[in-house]
Order: sequence, then structure tokens, then C-alpha cells
Amino acid sequence: MTLKYVKLHSENFDDLFNYLTGLGDVYAPVKKGRVHSFQRVLNSREADFNYTRTMLPPKKFFIKPKEELFRPKGGKWIGEVEERTLILFGLHSCDIHGLQILDRVYLSEPADPYYKARRERSIIIGMSCIPDEYCFCRSLGTDFAMSGFDLFLHELPDGWLVRVGSVRGHEIIWINEGLFDEVSEEDLASFKAFEEERARAFKRELNREGLADILDLAYDNPLWSKYAERCLACGNCTLVCPTCRCYEVCDRWASSYDAVRERRYDSCFMESHGLVAGGHNFRPTRLDRFRHRYYCKNYFDPEAGFNCVGCGRCDEFCPAGIEHVRVLEEIRGSLR
Amino acid sequence: MMGENPYRSHNARILEVKELTPREKLYTLRFTDREMGNFEFKPGQFVIVNLKGFGEFPVSLCSPPTRKGYFQLCIRRVGRVTKFIHGMNEGDVVGIRGPYGNGFPMGGMEGSNLVLVAGGLGMAPLRSVLWYAIDTGNYKHMWLFYGTKSYEDILFRDEVLHLLKHGPSMNCTVKLAYEVETPSCVYLERGFSTQVCRGVVTDLFKGEEFDVEDTYALVCGPPIMYRFVIRELLNRKLSPGRIYITLERRMRCGVGKCGHCVVGTSTSMKYVCRDGPVFTYWDALSTRGLI
Repeated sequence: MTLKYVKLHSENFDDLFNYLTGLGDVYAPVKKGRVHSFQRVLNSREADFNYTRTMLPPKKFFIKPKEELFRPKGGKWIGEVEERTLILFGLHSCDIHGLQILDRVYLSEPADPYYKARRERSIIIGMSCIPDEYCFCRSLGTDFAMSGFDLFLHELPDGWLVRVGSVRGHEIIWINEGLFDEVSEEDLASFKAFEEERARAFKRELNREGLADILDLAYDNPLWSKYAERCLACGNCTLVCPTCRCYEVCDRWASSYDAVRERRYDSCFMESHGLVAGGHNFRPTRLDRFRHRYYCKNYFDPEAGFNCVGCGRCDEFCPAGIEHVRVLEEIRGSLR
Repeated sequence: MMGENPYRSHNARILEVKELTPREKLYTLRFTDREMGNFEFKPGQFVIVNLKGFGEFPVSLCSPPTRKGYFQLCIRRVGRVTKFIHGMNEGDVVGIRGPYGNGFPMGGMEGSNLVLVAGGLGMAPLRSVLWYAIDTGNYKHMWLFYGTKSYEDILFRDEVLHLLKHGPSMNCTVKLAYEVETPSCVYLERGFSTQVCRGVVTDLFKGEEFDVEDTYALVCGPPIMYRFVIRELLNRKLSPGRIYITLERRMRCGVGKCGHCVVGTSTSMKYVCRDGPVFTYWDALSTRGLI
């Protein structure tokens, strides 16, 4: 049996899921009110895999919204991370790409030990999706995950076509060999049909041709201030972005005798983001901060790649209704 | 258990505290951690000072790496954490991690002239360069143009006054510009009429000639200063690749993770802490928002 691609029948899905819950904490998308969220689940019925995107991306498992870095212990300042295996079930391709972008930042030398420890003990199970009106991952090449997962499940009419992406994934298949079958010609046809249907479902496109230079040239474009005035500077888009990773560190007194050093998410929309000692602010206006985020997201790093994965979260959760692609297209249009 | 934690600081003892001005103090430190015995750095690099329970702040190393066994930090009291360290005394222990940043390319500038242009607290990293250059003796001639608010605000005043008088014997020309006229300044100006004047730092370039083919300029000061100094240097046809500037940003991690010091646009994103803090003027031309 070739082990790069295997088939999982629908009736065996729960068995695989239950095997994974035995390995550690399984987190899967759960419907909460109007949005989905990655939550710990004990069986597959609690999860809802018919989702497009969660509100918070899976970065919340690796860089916590608020976490302790150091705590005094025995007269020393100790940093520790907990050691539970983390299984993320049902990640879409864009989120897997998002994690890989975070990897290139947090695992580059010197590696962030907290992120690294969590990343090493995580198992990523991807899942295919159908895009909605906000998705533009195809324009960015993040609509298909080639690496960064252990198993990737592609929907078939009667089960799942499973791609194996790592040794860990291979081991999971190996141990549960009875659950899997070989991929038939018919499955491949269904897989192809699904991918074609998916490709047709994209409604939004981002023209990336020369975008970096166009944005740089449009530094003084009045469109920026038009949008910056609409922007509420709430920082929602940075919280829900799978690749936004700024953090702030502060020391907090847990009791009269104990201080803990904590870090928490920061957002470049906050006024203090560019503030330095003495009161000089390098990004003093909302316009500066608004533009800064667009520049950061649309920077193509030769080593780290593009900083945006096209998940559409910032569009869906922006209270002012500012749409990433539309801003970029308007900027491009204004240059003509 | 985790491996080496880059956010872990090493203990250093304060050997000496010296009040430079009412706002700035000079701390001489030495590591007490044995593993940091071989602490080495380059002029222009910075460290992050960690006061457990109060926080961290980045500060540039202001002693030259040629002076072994200790290092010095010039710290201005501007906020909560620096206020706390200003209350510390000799013998107290602080956490230090680093050094971070690229530092000045001292090796590549050997045998050339150095023009150091400092404004205010910008004197701190350039003092490291100045003494490194004097100690090694590998540089042709040094100019130090130092712009300060008043006589009382001159950092390392004893050294500056010493070099005003004895600089030429060390291939070093020191010039001083002050803004606020006080009796001390007038007295100083009377003593060194060619070297001290009332005005801004660019006024000090008058009457100084240097070979632009064989000179590097190193600039550090408040953001507003760069524009005027660089205009003066460019008027003298100094190539943008020979102008080095060192920058300040909000830095939390020092290793290119926390994202506060990111500058530039979609074509040129840079982390000041990792890719800098020393940049050439060419970098500033190709990276919007750098200065």
C-alpha cells in the first residue's frame, strides 16, 4: 500500500478521531454563536467541520493572547512551557500556510523557545474547504498546502482522501492501518472534481503583479487617508490575522513578593506601537499605522515569503467594513 | 525543560554609578555569570537591561570593546524602568541580555577618516566608536562634532573637555555646538574659540575639510538631526554608502520577533533590532520611514 495517499472511509472517521483524542488534546472548529472557534473537543460530534474560517486563527495555540514568560522560582527567574500534545484537527490550507510564516519568524535563530516547544508537540490535521466571498488565497498561492501538516483530509463523496505530510502522519496511518484503504481511480476522479469545483468557487482575486512596488510608490496616495479615516484603529484585523505576530512584554506583580513577566498580543494600530522613550512616536498618526499594516502584510520577503495568506478574516471581522483586497485594488487603480 | 532561552538575561553587577547630567547616569557593569566571561561586542551594538519585576529596556553600549572586563551604559531617566535603575547603587545586580544588532563595520573603515556626528544622547554609541578608534589607532583622523543643549547637558563632559584640549595629539578633532548660552559655555567658547560655538551641529562642519574618498561619517542623534546632517554631508559629495546612521526604535525582544521595530514598506521591510540599528544612508534611501 502506498502511504503518501490513502483513503479514509466515512465510517472510519470517528475511529481515527478517537485515536487522536487518545494522543493528547484535540482542538477542532466548534460553532459558537455566529462564528466558529477552535475549541477542545472530546469526540467528532462536538466539532463542526462545515466551516470556512474561525474567528481567531490557530496562532492562538502557539503564541498565546497572554502568556507567562518568566516567574521567580527558588530565587531564580524561570521560564517553562507545559508539555501536552496538541492536535489541531480541521485546519484549512490558509491557516497551515499562516503557521509556516510564523515558523519562519519564530523559529529563525535564535528560536523562540515557547513557540518552538509548542510547535514540536503539535499534530496538524488539515482539511479541504470551499471558499466563500472573502477568500482570496488562490491569488496568493496559499490555497493548497504542500507541507506543514501531518495529515490532510480531502473530502470525497464517501470519505476522505488523506495526504500524508510528515513522518508523524505516516506513523498515525501505520498504527491504524486497518482504518485506511487504497485510493481507487474513482476516488481520484472525485478528488479532481472537488478541486475543480473549489477553483470555480473563488469570487475574489488579488492582482499581485508588481504590487510591492506599486504600494511603495503610492506612499503619499490620498486613498490611504480616506481609508485611515474610516478605520476605527481597533486592532481587530491584527488579532484575527493568522500571520500578525507583534507582542508586548510587561512585568506584573502577582503578589507583593512575586512578579511575573508576561507577554501579550500587540497591534500596530495601537498608538504605543511606535512610541519610544522620551515620547517620540515613529508612527504618530492613524494614517501611518494603517499604511504600516498594509505594507507589512504585502511585503514579499525573499526568505519568508508573502506575509498575507488570503484567509479573509480581516475583511469579515472589520467593524468598519474595510476590505483588504479592495483597498489594494483601489491603490492600484489610482496609479493608472 | 527547554533549551537556551534567548529572553533569559545574565546577572551583571554595577561596579560604578556616575552622574553625567541630572538626567543621565553612567553605569559600569561586569557580568557575575561565569558563562558570560567572554562577553564581546562591537561599537554600535546594544543590550537589553532587565530589572526583574519592572521590565526591560534597550540601551546602547557606550564603552569601547577594547576596554576589557567591564562595559558601560549611559542611561537617561525617561520612564518607569529607567527611573528605577537610577535609584540603584554600586553593588546592585541587574540582568543584561545581548549584545544585539549589527554594530558599526569598524573593520571595513580601518585606515580611513571618521567623522562622528552626535546630538544629545547620540553621543553614547559614538563614544564607543571614538574610544575604539583611539585605542586601536587604526584610523587616519577622527572628527567629533557634538551638538548639545547646554554646558550642563554635555555627556562625558570630562572626556570631551580633555579631547578639546588634547585631541590633536590623538589624531582627533573635537568640536562642540551648544544651544543655550550659559556662563560656562561662554567661558568654554573663549578658551576654544575655533572648536566651540553657539548653534547647531551642522555649524561645526565649517572650516573642516576631509577627503570624501577616504572618509566615513557616523551619525547618531534625535530623528530631526539626521536630515540636516545628511544634507551637509551630501553637499560635500560624501557617498550615501559612506554615511552610517544608527537608529532608535521601540524594541521588546531584540531578536526580530516582537515586531515593534519594523520599518519600511512593501519593498523593504526591516527589523531595526536585527538588521540594524546601524544602517547606511543608502538603506535609508531605499527603505521608507527609516529616518
